[in-house]
Amino acid sequence: MIQSRPYEFMVSYTPQTQWIEKGGVKLWLAFFFIELGAGMFFIASLLDNVLAMSIGWFLCAVLGGGFHLLYLGKPLRFWRMAFSSGWKTSWISRGIIFVSFFLGFGFIHILLMQLSIRYTGLVVIADVFAFLTVIYGGFAMNYVNGIPLWNTALLPILYVVSGLWGGAEVTLGLALGSGGMVVGKAVEEWIRILLIGYLLLVPVYLMSVRYTSSTGQVSVRYMMRSQWSAVFWIGVVILGMIVPLVAVINSMITNLETISVAFLYSAILSGLIGDLAMRYLILKCGVYGPLIPSSDTA
Amino acid sequence: MRWGMLINLVKCVGCYSCVVKCEQEHFLPPSVLFGRILISETGEYPRALKHVYPVLCNHCKEAKCVDACPTRATQKREDGIVWVDSDKCVGCRYCLMACPYQVRTYYDEEKEYYPGQGLTEFEKLGRQLHPYQTGTVLKCTFCMERIDSGIKRGLKPGVDRDATPACVITCPSKARYFGDLDDPESEISMLVRKWRPVQLRPEYGTEPSVLYVIG
Repeated sequence: MIQSRPYEFMVSYTPQTQWIEKGGVKLWLAFFFIELGAGMFFIASLLDNVLAMSIGWFLCAVLGGGFHLLYLGKPLRFWRMAFSSGWKTSWISRGIIFVSFFLGFGFIHILLMQLSIRYTGLVVIADVFAFLTVIYGGFAMNYVNGIPLWNTALLPILYVVSGLWGGAEVTLGLALGSGGMVVGKAVEEWIRILLIGYLLLVPVYLMSVRYTSSTGQVSVRYMMRSQWSAVFWIGVVILGMIVPLVAVINSMITNLETISVAFLYSAILSGLIGDLAMRYLILKCGVYGPLIPSSDTA
Repeated sequence: MRWGMLINLVKCVGCYSCVVKCEQEHFLPPSVLFGRILISETGEYPRALKHVYPVLCNHCKEAKCVDACPTRATQKREDGIVWVDSDKCVGCRYCLMACPYQVRTYYDEEKEYYPGQGLTEFEKLGRQLHPYQTGTVLKCTFCMERIDSGIKRGLKPGVDRDATPACVITCPSKARYFGDLDDPESEISMLVRKWRPVQLRPEYGTEPSVLYVIG
Protein backbone atom coordinates (compact mmCIF):
# COMPACT_ATOMS: atom_id res chain seq x y z
CA MET A 1 0.00 0.00 0.00
CA ILE A 2 2.68 2.52 1.06
CA GLN A 3 5.69 2.74 -1.22
CA SER A 4 8.52 0.64 0.18
CA ARG A 5 10.50 -0.24 -2.95
CA PRO A 6 11.97 2.18 -5.51
CA TYR A 7 9.88 0.83 -8.39
CA GLU A 8 6.70 1.55 -6.45
CA PHE A 9 7.42 5.29 -6.54
CA MET A 10 4.17 7.10 -7.37
CA VAL A 11 2.60 3.74 -8.27
CA SER A 12 1.74 3.09 -4.63
CA TYR A 13 0.97 5.79 -2.06
CA THR A 14 4.31 7.56 -1.84
CA PRO A 15 5.40 9.33 1.36
CA GLN A 16 7.15 12.66 0.98
CA THR A 17 10.73 12.42 2.20
CA GLN A 18 12.42 15.72 1.46
CA TRP A 19 10.88 17.55 4.38
CA ILE A 20 11.47 14.91 7.05
CA GLU A 21 14.13 12.35 6.13
CA LYS A 22 17.87 12.87 6.32
CA GLY A 23 18.40 16.64 6.35
CA GLY A 24 14.65 17.19 6.32
CA VAL A 25 14.59 16.69 10.09
CA LYS A 26 16.07 20.18 10.34
CA LEU A 27 12.96 21.60 8.74
CA TRP A 28 10.76 19.80 11.26
CA LEU A 29 12.76 21.39 14.09
CA ALA A 30 12.82 24.74 12.30
CA PHE A 31 9.03 24.92 12.04
CA PHE A 32 8.70 23.81 15.67
CA PHE A 33 11.06 26.41 17.11
CA ILE A 34 9.86 29.21 14.82
CA GLU A 35 6.25 28.69 15.87
CA LEU A 36 7.04 27.97 19.50
CA GLY A 37 9.19 31.10 19.76
CA ALA A 38 6.73 33.37 18.00
CA GLY A 39 3.84 31.90 20.02
CA MET A 40 5.76 32.49 23.21
CA PHE A 41 6.50 36.09 22.25
CA PHE A 42 2.83 36.65 21.43
CA ILE A 43 1.58 35.28 24.76
CA ALA A 44 4.35 36.94 26.79
CA SER A 45 3.79 40.34 25.15
CA LEU A 46 0.15 40.28 26.29
CA LEU A 47 1.45 39.86 29.84
CA ASP A 48 4.38 42.28 29.44
CA ASN A 49 6.78 39.53 30.44
CA VAL A 50 10.11 40.66 28.99
CA LEU A 51 12.02 37.50 29.93
CA ALA A 52 9.56 35.21 28.13
CA MET A 53 9.43 37.56 25.14
CA SER A 54 13.23 37.53 24.91
CA ILE A 55 13.41 33.73 25.11
CA GLY A 56 10.65 33.41 22.50
CA TRP A 57 12.52 35.81 20.23
CA PHE A 58 15.73 33.81 20.77
CA LEU A 59 14.04 30.47 20.03
CA CYS A 60 12.56 31.86 16.84
CA ALA A 61 15.66 33.67 15.60
CA VAL A 62 18.48 31.37 16.61
CA LEU A 63 16.99 27.87 16.68
CA GLY A 64 14.14 28.34 14.20
CA GLY A 65 16.10 30.52 11.80
CA GLY A 66 19.25 28.47 12.28
CA PHE A 67 17.61 25.16 11.46
CA HIS A 68 15.90 26.76 8.48
CA LEU A 69 19.26 27.96 7.12
CA LEU A 70 20.93 24.63 7.80
CA TYR A 71 18.19 22.88 5.85
CA LEU A 72 18.65 24.93 2.69
CA GLY A 73 20.77 23.52 -0.12
CA LYS A 74 22.25 26.96 -0.77
CA PRO A 75 21.93 28.82 2.57
CA LEU A 76 23.95 31.84 1.44
CA ARG A 77 21.23 32.64 -1.07
CA PHE A 78 18.51 32.80 1.59
CA TRP A 79 18.08 36.55 1.11
CA ARG A 80 16.62 35.85 -2.31
CA MET A 81 13.53 34.46 -0.59
CA ALA A 82 12.69 37.87 0.81
CA PHE A 83 13.99 40.08 -1.98
CA SER A 84 12.40 38.45 -5.01
CA SER A 85 8.82 38.80 -6.16
CA GLY A 86 8.21 35.32 -4.73
CA TRP A 87 6.09 36.74 -1.91
CA LYS A 88 3.25 37.31 -4.36
CA THR A 89 2.54 33.58 -4.55
CA SER A 90 4.95 31.65 -2.32
CA TRP A 91 4.18 31.01 1.34
CA ILE A 92 7.83 30.28 2.10
CA SER A 93 8.78 33.70 0.81
CA ARG A 94 5.95 35.32 2.76
CA GLY A 95 7.06 33.39 5.84
CA ILE A 96 10.62 34.72 5.61
CA ILE A 97 9.22 38.26 5.40
CA PHE A 98 6.87 37.68 8.37
CA VAL A 99 9.70 36.23 10.45
CA SER A 100 12.04 39.08 9.53
CA PHE A 101 9.50 41.75 10.46
CA PHE A 102 8.58 39.93 13.66
CA LEU A 103 12.21 39.64 14.70
CA GLY A 104 12.89 43.27 13.83
CA PHE A 105 9.89 44.82 15.59
CA GLY A 106 10.13 42.30 18.42
CA PHE A 107 13.76 43.17 19.06
CA ILE A 108 13.01 46.90 19.20
CA HIS A 109 10.06 46.27 21.54
CA ILE A 110 12.16 44.13 23.91
CA LEU A 111 14.92 46.74 23.86
CA LEU A 112 12.49 49.56 24.69
CA MET A 113 10.85 47.47 27.43
CA GLN A 114 14.29 47.10 29.03
CA LEU A 115 14.43 50.89 29.09
CA SER A 116 10.89 50.97 30.55
CA ILE A 117 9.49 52.51 27.36
CA ARG A 118 6.32 51.01 25.94
CA TYR A 119 4.88 51.88 22.54
CA THR A 120 1.52 50.16 22.15
CA GLY A 121 1.65 50.51 18.37
CA LEU A 122 4.99 48.77 18.24
CA VAL A 123 3.87 45.79 20.29
CA VAL A 124 0.72 45.47 18.20
CA ILE A 125 2.80 45.36 15.00
CA ALA A 126 5.24 42.87 16.55
CA ASP A 127 2.33 40.71 17.70
CA VAL A 128 0.68 40.78 14.28
CA PHE A 129 3.90 39.55 12.68
CA ALA A 130 4.40 37.02 15.50
CA PHE A 131 0.95 35.64 14.75
CA LEU A 132 1.68 35.54 11.01
CA THR A 133 4.94 33.75 11.83
CA VAL A 134 3.03 31.11 13.76
CA ILE A 135 0.53 30.58 10.97
CA TYR A 136 2.65 30.68 7.80
CA GLY A 137 4.03 27.14 8.15
CA GLY A 138 0.50 25.77 8.12
CA PHE A 139 -0.36 27.74 5.00
CA ALA A 140 2.89 26.67 3.31
CA MET A 141 1.96 23.04 3.84
CA ASN A 142 -1.71 23.63 3.07
CA TYR A 143 -0.69 24.77 -0.44
CA VAL A 144 0.59 21.28 -1.32
CA ASN A 145 -2.49 19.77 -2.94
CA GLY A 146 -0.77 16.48 -3.72
CA ILE A 147 -0.77 15.59 -0.02
CA PRO A 148 -4.31 15.54 1.42
CA LEU A 149 -2.96 15.36 4.99
CA TRP A 150 -1.57 18.85 4.46
CA ASN A 151 -4.09 20.21 1.99
CA THR A 152 -6.76 21.07 4.53
CA ALA A 153 -7.83 24.41 5.95
CA LEU A 154 -7.64 22.93 9.45
CA LEU A 155 -3.85 22.56 9.32
CA PRO A 156 -2.98 26.28 9.68
CA ILE A 157 -5.48 26.51 12.54
CA LEU A 158 -3.95 23.48 14.23
CA TYR A 159 -0.48 24.99 13.86
CA VAL A 160 -1.63 28.31 15.33
CA VAL A 161 -3.23 26.62 18.31
CA SER A 162 -0.27 24.33 18.94
CA GLY A 163 2.24 27.17 18.43
CA LEU A 164 0.47 29.46 20.89
CA TRP A 165 -0.16 26.61 23.31
CA GLY A 166 3.51 25.57 23.27
CA GLY A 167 4.51 29.20 23.75
CA ALA A 168 2.09 29.56 26.67
CA GLU A 169 3.45 26.39 28.27
CA VAL A 170 7.07 27.58 28.18
CA THR A 171 5.95 30.99 29.49
CA LEU A 172 4.20 29.24 32.38
CA GLY A 173 7.35 27.25 33.08
CA LEU A 174 9.37 30.46 33.22
CA ALA A 175 6.78 32.11 35.48
CA LEU A 176 6.87 29.16 37.86
CA GLY A 177 10.67 29.23 37.87
CA SER A 178 10.82 32.92 38.70
CA GLY A 179 8.00 32.76 41.25
CA GLY A 180 5.69 34.95 39.16
CA MET A 181 2.38 33.44 40.22
CA VAL A 182 0.32 36.35 38.84
CA VAL A 183 1.77 35.81 35.36
CA GLY A 184 1.49 32.04 35.89
CA LYS A 185 -2.24 32.25 36.59
CA ALA A 186 -2.85 34.50 33.59
CA VAL A 187 -0.95 32.13 31.30
CA GLU A 188 -2.80 29.19 32.76
CA GLU A 189 -6.08 30.71 31.54
CA TRP A 190 -4.60 30.85 28.03
CA ILE A 191 -3.38 27.25 28.33
CA ARG A 192 -6.86 26.03 29.31
CA ILE A 193 -8.46 27.64 26.26
CA LEU A 194 -5.71 26.57 23.86
CA LEU A 195 -5.60 23.02 25.19
CA ILE A 196 -9.34 22.62 24.72
CA GLY A 197 -8.92 23.96 21.18
CA TYR A 198 -6.07 21.52 20.53
CA LEU A 199 -8.00 18.56 21.96
CA LEU A 200 -10.92 19.34 19.66
CA LEU A 201 -8.85 20.17 16.60
CA VAL A 202 -6.65 17.07 16.42
CA PRO A 203 -9.49 14.53 16.06
CA VAL A 204 -11.53 16.84 13.80
CA TYR A 205 -8.46 17.40 11.60
CA LEU A 206 -7.72 13.69 11.33
CA MET A 207 -11.35 12.80 10.67
CA SER A 208 -11.70 15.45 7.99
CA VAL A 209 -8.56 14.20 6.24
CA ARG A 210 -9.72 10.60 6.65
CA TYR A 211 -12.91 11.29 4.70
CA THR A 212 -11.39 13.60 2.06
CA SER A 213 -9.91 10.96 -0.24
CA SER A 214 -8.40 7.51 -0.30
CA THR A 215 -4.94 9.11 -0.03
CA GLY A 216 -6.05 10.99 3.06
CA GLN A 217 -7.39 7.76 4.50
CA VAL A 218 -4.03 6.08 3.87
CA SER A 219 -2.19 8.96 5.55
CA VAL A 220 -4.31 8.75 8.68
CA ARG A 221 -4.02 4.97 8.78
CA TYR A 222 -0.25 5.28 8.29
CA MET A 223 -0.18 7.60 11.28
CA MET A 224 -2.35 5.52 13.59
CA ARG A 225 -1.82 1.92 12.55
CA SER A 226 1.68 1.52 11.13
CA GLN A 227 5.15 1.57 12.68
CA TRP A 228 4.36 5.18 13.61
CA SER A 229 1.36 4.25 15.73
CA ALA A 230 3.49 4.24 18.92
CA VAL A 231 4.55 7.83 18.20
CA PHE A 232 0.92 8.77 17.69
CA TRP A 233 -0.66 7.00 20.66
CA ILE A 234 2.15 7.56 23.16
CA GLY A 235 3.57 10.82 21.85
CA VAL A 236 0.56 12.70 20.56
CA VAL A 237 -2.31 11.22 22.58
CA ILE A 238 -0.83 10.35 25.98
CA LEU A 239 2.04 12.85 26.29
CA GLY A 240 0.58 15.60 24.14
CA MET A 241 -3.05 15.47 25.20
CA ILE A 242 -3.84 13.35 28.24
CA VAL A 243 -0.99 14.45 30.52
CA PRO A 244 -1.53 18.20 29.89
CA LEU A 245 -5.29 17.67 30.30
CA VAL A 246 -4.75 15.98 33.68
CA ALA A 247 -2.54 18.90 34.74
CA VAL A 248 -5.13 21.47 33.65
CA ILE A 249 -8.02 19.63 35.37
CA ASN A 250 -5.89 19.30 38.48
CA SER A 251 -5.15 23.05 38.52
CA MET A 252 -8.85 23.81 38.02
CA ILE A 253 -9.92 21.54 40.89
CA THR A 254 -7.21 22.59 43.31
CA ASN A 255 -5.05 25.65 42.75
CA LEU A 256 -1.93 26.46 40.76
CA GLU A 257 0.07 27.16 43.95
CA THR A 258 -0.82 23.83 45.54
CA ILE A 259 0.17 21.62 42.58
CA SER A 260 3.61 20.08 42.64
CA VAL A 261 5.97 22.19 40.53
CA ALA A 262 7.69 19.01 39.34
CA PHE A 263 4.36 17.71 38.06
CA LEU A 264 3.67 20.98 36.26
CA TYR A 265 7.09 20.97 34.63
CA SER A 266 6.56 17.35 33.60
CA ALA A 267 3.21 18.28 32.06
CA ILE A 268 4.78 21.21 30.18
CA LEU A 269 7.59 19.00 28.86
CA SER A 270 5.08 16.31 28.00
CA GLY A 271 2.95 18.80 26.05
CA LEU A 272 5.97 20.02 24.08
CA ILE A 273 7.00 16.45 23.24
CA GLY A 274 3.43 15.77 22.11
CA ASP A 275 3.51 18.85 19.87
CA LEU A 276 6.82 17.75 18.37
CA ALA A 277 5.43 14.24 17.82
CA MET A 278 2.32 15.60 16.08
CA ARG A 279 4.40 17.79 13.80
CA TYR A 280 6.71 14.89 13.04
CA LEU A 281 3.82 12.64 12.09
CA ILE A 282 2.18 15.31 9.93
CA LEU A 283 5.41 15.54 7.95
CA LYS A 284 6.20 11.82 8.01
CA CYS A 285 2.73 10.58 7.08
CA GLY A 286 2.16 13.08 4.27
CA VAL A 287 1.71 10.80 1.26
CA TYR A 288 1.11 11.51 -2.41
CA GLY A 289 -1.59 9.63 -4.21
CA PRO A 290 -0.58 7.18 -6.97
CA LEU A 291 -0.42 8.60 -10.48
CA ILE A 292 -1.53 5.49 -12.32
CA PRO A 293 -4.11 2.76 -11.68
CA SER A 294 -2.85 -0.16 -9.62
CA SER A 295 -4.32 -3.16 -7.80
CA ASP A 296 -2.30 -2.23 -4.72
CA THR A 297 -4.10 1.07 -4.39
CA ALA A 298 -7.58 0.02 -5.49
CA MET B 1 2.35 29.16 -28.07
CA ARG B 2 2.38 26.25 -25.66
CA TRP B 3 4.71 23.31 -26.21
CA GLY B 4 3.16 20.00 -25.31
CA MET B 5 3.73 16.29 -25.59
CA LEU B 6 1.37 13.51 -26.47
CA ILE B 7 2.22 9.98 -25.37
CA ASN B 8 0.31 7.14 -26.96
CA LEU B 9 0.26 4.40 -24.33
CA VAL B 10 -1.09 1.94 -26.88
CA LYS B 11 2.19 2.23 -28.77
CA CYS B 12 4.52 2.50 -25.74
CA VAL B 13 6.33 -0.78 -25.06
CA GLY B 14 8.03 0.34 -21.83
CA CYS B 15 11.54 -0.11 -23.22
CA TYR B 16 13.06 2.75 -21.17
CA SER B 17 14.72 4.26 -24.27
CA CYS B 18 13.29 7.66 -23.39
CA VAL B 19 14.68 7.46 -19.84
CA VAL B 20 18.13 6.39 -21.02
CA LYS B 21 18.23 8.93 -23.84
CA CYS B 22 17.26 11.70 -21.40
CA GLU B 23 20.07 10.67 -19.04
CA GLN B 24 22.50 10.70 -21.94
CA GLU B 25 21.27 13.95 -23.51
CA HIS B 26 21.57 15.89 -20.25
CA PHE B 27 24.53 13.99 -18.77
CA LEU B 28 22.44 13.44 -15.68
CA PRO B 29 24.27 12.46 -12.49
CA PRO B 30 23.44 9.12 -10.82
CA SER B 31 20.04 8.99 -9.10
CA VAL B 32 18.77 12.05 -11.01
CA LEU B 33 15.94 11.26 -13.39
CA PHE B 34 14.01 13.72 -15.52
CA GLY B 35 11.80 10.99 -16.94
CA ARG B 36 10.58 7.74 -15.44
CA ILE B 37 8.51 4.75 -16.42
CA LEU B 38 5.76 3.85 -13.97
CA ILE B 39 4.53 0.29 -14.22
CA SER B 40 1.57 -1.22 -12.41
CA GLU B 41 -0.91 -4.03 -12.70
CA THR B 42 -4.65 -4.21 -12.20
CA GLY B 43 -7.07 -7.11 -12.19
CA GLU B 44 -6.31 -10.77 -11.75
CA TYR B 45 -5.36 -13.58 -14.09
CA PRO B 46 -6.70 -14.17 -16.70
CA ARG B 47 -7.94 -10.58 -16.85
CA ALA B 48 -4.84 -8.88 -15.52
CA LEU B 49 -3.73 -5.63 -17.12
CA LYS B 50 -0.28 -4.11 -17.12
CA HIS B 51 -0.08 -0.32 -17.20
CA VAL B 52 3.05 1.41 -18.48
CA TYR B 53 3.19 5.18 -18.08
CA PRO B 54 6.24 7.17 -19.11
CA VAL B 55 6.21 10.28 -16.92
CA LEU B 56 8.16 13.51 -17.07
CA CYS B 57 7.58 17.11 -16.04
CA ASN B 58 4.13 18.04 -17.28
CA HIS B 59 5.06 21.69 -17.85
CA CYS B 60 1.68 22.53 -16.39
CA LYS B 61 -0.28 25.55 -17.53
CA GLU B 62 -1.11 26.24 -13.87
CA ALA B 63 2.20 25.03 -12.46
CA LYS B 64 2.14 24.67 -8.68
CA CYS B 65 5.93 24.67 -8.56
CA VAL B 66 6.20 28.10 -10.18
CA ASP B 67 3.94 29.69 -7.60
CA ALA B 68 5.62 27.81 -4.76
CA CYS B 69 9.16 28.93 -5.55
CA PRO B 70 10.17 31.62 -3.04
CA THR B 71 13.00 33.01 -5.18
CA ARG B 72 11.40 32.79 -8.62
CA ALA B 73 14.12 30.31 -9.61
CA THR B 74 11.40 28.16 -11.10
CA GLN B 75 10.08 30.08 -14.05
CA LYS B 76 7.63 29.58 -16.84
CA ARG B 77 8.53 30.78 -20.29
CA GLU B 78 6.06 32.27 -22.74
CA ASP B 79 6.10 29.00 -24.66
CA GLY B 80 4.94 27.15 -21.52
CA ILE B 81 8.24 25.49 -20.63
CA VAL B 82 8.86 25.38 -16.88
CA TRP B 83 12.55 25.48 -15.94
CA VAL B 84 14.77 26.14 -12.93
CA ASP B 85 17.41 28.86 -12.86
CA SER B 86 19.99 27.07 -10.70
CA ASP B 87 21.75 30.33 -9.85
CA LYS B 88 18.62 31.51 -8.03
CA CYS B 89 17.58 28.22 -6.41
CA VAL B 90 18.12 28.07 -2.63
CA GLY B 91 17.33 24.37 -2.33
CA CYS B 92 14.28 24.75 -0.07
CA ARG B 93 12.53 21.96 -2.03
CA TYR B 94 9.13 23.61 -1.72
CA CYS B 95 8.65 23.14 -5.47
CA LEU B 96 9.36 19.46 -5.01
CA MET B 97 6.67 19.26 -2.34
CA ALA B 98 4.21 21.31 -4.38
CA CYS B 99 4.49 19.14 -7.50
CA PRO B 100 1.74 16.50 -7.20
CA TYR B 101 3.47 14.45 -9.92
CA GLN B 102 6.82 14.27 -8.09
CA VAL B 103 8.86 14.75 -11.25
CA ARG B 104 11.53 16.97 -9.76
CA THR B 105 14.79 15.82 -8.19
CA TYR B 106 16.87 17.41 -5.49
CA TYR B 107 20.54 17.14 -6.40
CA ASP B 108 22.04 16.74 -2.95
CA GLU B 109 25.59 15.59 -3.61
CA GLU B 110 27.93 14.86 -6.47
CA LYS B 111 28.20 11.16 -7.14
CA GLU B 112 30.19 9.10 -9.61
CA TYR B 113 28.64 6.40 -11.71
CA TYR B 114 31.40 4.08 -10.51
CA PRO B 115 31.96 5.03 -6.84
CA GLY B 116 35.59 5.32 -5.83
CA GLN B 117 36.87 4.97 -9.39
CA GLY B 118 36.74 8.62 -10.42
CA LEU B 119 34.75 10.23 -13.18
CA THR B 120 34.49 8.57 -16.55
CA GLU B 121 35.30 10.59 -19.67
CA PHE B 122 31.55 10.80 -20.30
CA GLU B 123 30.96 12.26 -16.85
CA LYS B 124 33.84 14.73 -17.21
CA LEU B 125 32.38 15.99 -20.46
CA GLY B 126 28.94 16.17 -18.83
CA ARG B 127 30.20 18.30 -15.96
CA GLN B 128 31.57 20.78 -18.49
CA LEU B 129 28.44 20.90 -20.61
CA HIS B 130 25.93 20.79 -17.77
CA PRO B 131 27.52 22.08 -14.56
CA TYR B 132 24.63 21.09 -12.29
CA GLN B 133 24.84 22.73 -8.89
CA THR B 134 24.48 20.58 -5.82
CA GLY B 135 21.90 21.82 -3.31
CA THR B 136 19.48 22.78 -6.06
CA VAL B 137 16.48 21.18 -7.73
CA LEU B 138 16.73 19.73 -11.22
CA LYS B 139 13.94 18.89 -13.65
CA CYS B 140 12.99 18.12 -17.24
CA THR B 141 13.19 21.17 -19.49
CA PHE B 142 11.46 19.69 -22.54
CA CYS B 143 15.03 19.87 -23.97
CA MET B 144 14.61 23.64 -24.31
CA GLU B 145 18.23 23.99 -25.49
CA ARG B 146 17.40 21.81 -28.48
CA ILE B 147 14.17 23.72 -29.12
CA ASP B 148 15.81 27.15 -28.86
CA SER B 149 18.81 26.33 -31.01
CA GLY B 150 16.56 24.57 -33.51
CA ILE B 151 14.25 27.55 -33.85
CA LYS B 152 17.26 29.83 -34.35
CA ARG B 153 18.30 27.60 -37.24
CA GLY B 154 14.84 27.79 -38.75
CA LEU B 155 13.82 24.30 -37.67
CA LYS B 156 10.38 23.37 -36.38
CA PRO B 157 10.11 21.60 -32.99
CA GLY B 158 8.10 18.41 -33.26
CA VAL B 159 8.86 18.13 -36.97
CA ASP B 160 12.64 18.44 -37.25
CA ARG B 161 14.65 16.02 -35.14
CA ASP B 162 17.27 18.56 -34.07
CA ALA B 163 14.63 20.84 -32.60
CA THR B 164 12.60 18.13 -30.86
CA PRO B 165 13.05 16.75 -27.31
CA ALA B 166 15.44 13.80 -27.15
CA CYS B 167 12.89 11.41 -25.64
CA VAL B 168 10.54 12.01 -28.57
CA ILE B 169 13.04 11.34 -31.34
CA THR B 170 14.50 8.29 -29.63
CA CYS B 171 11.22 6.46 -29.02
CA PRO B 172 11.47 3.28 -31.12
CA SER B 173 7.71 2.78 -31.28
CA LYS B 174 6.99 6.42 -32.13
CA ALA B 175 4.70 6.70 -29.15
CA ARG B 176 5.59 10.33 -28.45
CA TYR B 177 4.56 13.45 -30.30
CA PHE B 178 5.70 16.99 -29.63
CA GLY B 179 4.41 20.32 -30.83
CA ASP B 180 2.48 23.49 -30.19
CA LEU B 181 -0.81 22.77 -28.42
CA ASP B 182 -2.05 26.28 -29.19
CA ASP B 183 -1.59 25.86 -32.94
CA PRO B 184 -4.68 24.10 -34.33
CA GLU B 185 -2.77 23.11 -37.46
CA SER B 186 0.09 21.37 -35.64
CA GLU B 187 0.29 17.56 -35.78
CA ILE B 188 -0.09 17.28 -32.02
CA SER B 189 -3.25 19.42 -32.00
CA MET B 190 -4.78 17.32 -34.75
CA LEU B 191 -3.92 14.13 -32.86
CA VAL B 192 -5.41 15.59 -29.69
CA ARG B 193 -8.66 16.19 -31.55
CA LYS B 194 -8.52 12.71 -33.07
CA TRP B 195 -7.45 10.61 -30.09
CA ARG B 196 -8.94 12.64 -27.22
CA PRO B 197 -6.06 12.05 -24.78
CA VAL B 198 -6.27 12.55 -21.03
CA GLN B 199 -4.17 14.49 -18.57
CA LEU B 200 -2.52 12.75 -15.66
CA ARG B 201 -4.59 13.39 -12.51
CA PRO B 202 -6.54 16.38 -13.86
CA GLU B 203 -8.17 16.80 -10.44
CA TYR B 204 -5.07 18.66 -9.25
CA GLY B 205 -6.10 21.51 -11.53
CA THR B 206 -2.63 22.03 -12.97
CA GLU B 207 -3.53 21.54 -16.63
CA PRO B 208 -0.55 19.43 -17.68
CA SER B 209 0.90 19.88 -21.16
CA VAL B 210 1.79 16.20 -21.35
CA LEU B 211 -1.19 14.19 -22.54
CA TYR B 212 -1.79 10.44 -22.63
CA VAL B 213 -3.70 8.36 -25.14
CA ILE B 214 -5.03 5.46 -23.09
CA GLY B 215 -6.52 3.31 -25.80
